[in-house]
Amino acid sequence: MKLSLQQHIYFFILSSCLFFVVLVSSILWSIHVVDVAIERERYAHKVENHSNVLKQFIRSENIYAKDHNIDQWLLLEAKFNELLTRTPSLSAEQKTIQYSIESQNKNVLKLFNVIHENKLKKADDRIKQHLKLRLIMQLEAISSDAKQLFNIVQKDLHRVIKRQVTLVLSILSLSLIILIFGAFKLVKIFSTSLNEVKLAFTKNRCGNYQNIKLSNKSEEFESIANAFNEMNTELSATTVSLESMRKIVAERTEVLEQLSKTDPLTKVANRRALFEKGHDEFTRLQRSGSSFSLILLDCDLFKDINDKYGHLFGDEVLQHICFVCNEEIRSIDFFARYGGEEFIILLPESELSGAIATAERIQSSLAKQTITLEGVDVYVTLSIGICQAEKRHGCFEDVIKDADAAMYKAKENGRNRIEVCHNE
Amino acid sequence: MKKNSLVTLLLFTAVFSALSIIYFGVVPLFQQERHPVVIAVSKSPLSTPFYVAKAINAFDDTCVAPEYIAVAGGQLAFEKVMSGQADFATSSDSVIAFESLKARPFVTHAMFVQSDNDVKIITRKADNIRAFIDLKGKRIGVTKGTASEYILSTLLAIEGLSLGDIVLQDYPPEHLIEAFRHNEVDAILPWEPFAFQTLQSLKSKIKIHDTKSLSTLSFNLVSQTAEQHLVEQAVCVIQGLQKAIHYITSYPEQAKSIVITELAISTDFIDWVWPDYIFKLSLNQSLILNINAQANWAVANQMTSVNVTSSAINFIDSRALLKVDPGAVNISR
Repeated sequence: MKLSLQQHIYFFILSSCLFFVVLVSSILWSIHVVDVAIERERYAHKVENHSNVLKQFIRSENIYAKDHNIDQWLLLEAKFNELLTRTPSLSAEQKTIQYSIESQNKNVLKLFNVIHENKLKKADDRIKQHLKLRLIMQLEAISSDAKQLFNIVQKDLHRVIKRQVTLVLSILSLSLIILIFGAFKLVKIFSTSLNEVKLAFTKNRCGNYQNIKLSNKSEEFESIANAFNEMNTELSATTVSLESMRKIVAERTEVLEQLSKTDPLTKVANRRALFEKGHDEFTRLQRSGSSFSLILLDCDLFKDINDKYGHLFGDEVLQHICFVCNEEIRSIDFFARYGGEEFIILLPESELSGAIATAERIQSSLAKQTITLEGVDVYVTLSIGICQAEKRHGCFEDVIKDADAAMYKAKENGRNRIEVCHNE
Repeated sequence: MKKNSLVTLLLFTAVFSALSIIYFGVVPLFQQERHPVVIAVSKSPLSTPFYVAKAINAFDDTCVAPEYIAVAGGQLAFEKVMSGQADFATSSDSVIAFESLKARPFVTHAMFVQSDNDVKIITRKADNIRAFIDLKGKRIGVTKGTASEYILSTLLAIEGLSLGDIVLQDYPPEHLIEAFRHNEVDAILPWEPFAFQTLQSLKSKIKIHDTKSLSTLSFNLVSQTAEQHLVEQAVCVIQGLQKAIHYITSYPEQAKSIVITELAISTDFIDWVWPDYIFKLSLNQSLILNINAQANWAVANQMTSVNVTSSAINFIDSRALLKVDPGAVNISR
């Protein structure tokens, strides 16, 4: 049977009340039982005392005297009879003793009446003494019975007290055990369920959308779990996780970085990328002496092409140059648009000869690959300046400056040629 | 089956087996040895605790395995003990009083029943005996040395008569009724069940005089002067009697049925005597006074040839009853 937490608490409170009522009832019952036993004890004591009084009376009085007044005897007997009628409730064994006392008392009365009726006028002293002794004996029997009743009752009282104390302690122990068990059970339901909810929240925060699985069934926590699980289902369907978001951002950042380093027209590295690469290589040169060469290419008479064939064609020319250059350089070489119709090729770990060879291949290839515009082949040439980076250069810009100077020299010397910057 | 269920089943089986072994194997080893004892039991409803004890197997857990010898009256039972034919006997306080005068080596271990109307005076209606004084000069049948003789002497004394004023005739208790029927005596003092049998056989021809409360009688467990071994056996006998008396107190109707079957008597008879009986274990000062009084009375009235009485306390052995029920012993020396 599944109970709600509220029902659990109500059940626990009701159980506590019930145990309290049972405990109080058992205590009250014990008090009553002990009272009855004490009452019996008092009764037995009174009977014994009274029978002794009667015995003393018979012993001390001359009951055969003519002028003997029996009023006192009758008064004592009346009191004794009254006492015997006020008997408390007795057990079967105690009733037997009580019956014996009553029977003996009747014998006493009958014998006393026989004695008193005619004062035993015809009897001699022997029988008088004997009958008086019989009276005393009967009273002694009552006294003995009363003592026996007292002993039985006292034993019974001890047994009753022991039994009732055991009963009360048993009920108390049982109640405590059950209540402690109930309390632990409630605390366990609370703490376990709360921990499970807390764990689910923690996982949820990390993007791990797991449902709450309750170990202890309770209506209240189940309603919380159901609400949470429904929320989780919706969240997992609509929310992008942090991990996937990072991935997207990284991809976009890479794209943006790529865009920021790429020339939009020719799709080769732009000036910014060139200088990053150039500075890196220059730093390497300074640190490890690993040299690099730099080729600066400038399209000859580009302004004329623009003027003659239009800027769009000029753009195509630039793209064509980039295509040819990319075809001829090594994979480790870095090709970038320096600006306008100027391009730079950075050749890591390359000496001048290698750079010259590369420049010659480009010139040759470009010479072979013309650009066609409306059925007319258009030839493009490049003026190329080459410089090898050396320790005399203070920075990467100095290397460009030397290459630029060499390129101008090529322009001055008739264009479509290669000039090398030499150490001075 | 789950592992936990299997473990529980095995545990339960182990505990059950252990308990069975303890109960059926070990417990009998600790059961005490039972000694055969012979008890001379007077054939009277006064001996009810003995009949009930046997019927409910009250001696089974004790150290004795009693065998009963049925005898007609406490005096014969007493003789069985003194002759060594029985270990214990059921005898009235009058028998004890008379036997104490003979200074025989016996002791009383416990009183187990009392009655104030067991011995009755029966006369013929035709003789018109109204009061005890009318018994003067009559032939009266008694069993000498028993409550029968003592009660007669007491009732006569109240009227200023003595045993010398009547013709006292001694009969065994079972012969009193025949003597009365054959007109050998004018009155008899039988105890039960002989009084009831007289009433049943002679019905309206007889008169039973009201002696209730004047003829108190108790039945007691007696044995020869007890050695320690005999005291231990007396303890066991009293333990059985205690269980029987608890049973009589709790289930009087069942107890009556047992006595009816045992003595082959009628329900009418048991209903006739039962209200006069009080079954309880005790050993008190009253019994001592009673025995002393009766012994002194017997001497004073020359009912015996002995002139000197001995204190009844010498014939009381409270050791056994003190072990079984100390609260039932009230004796001051």
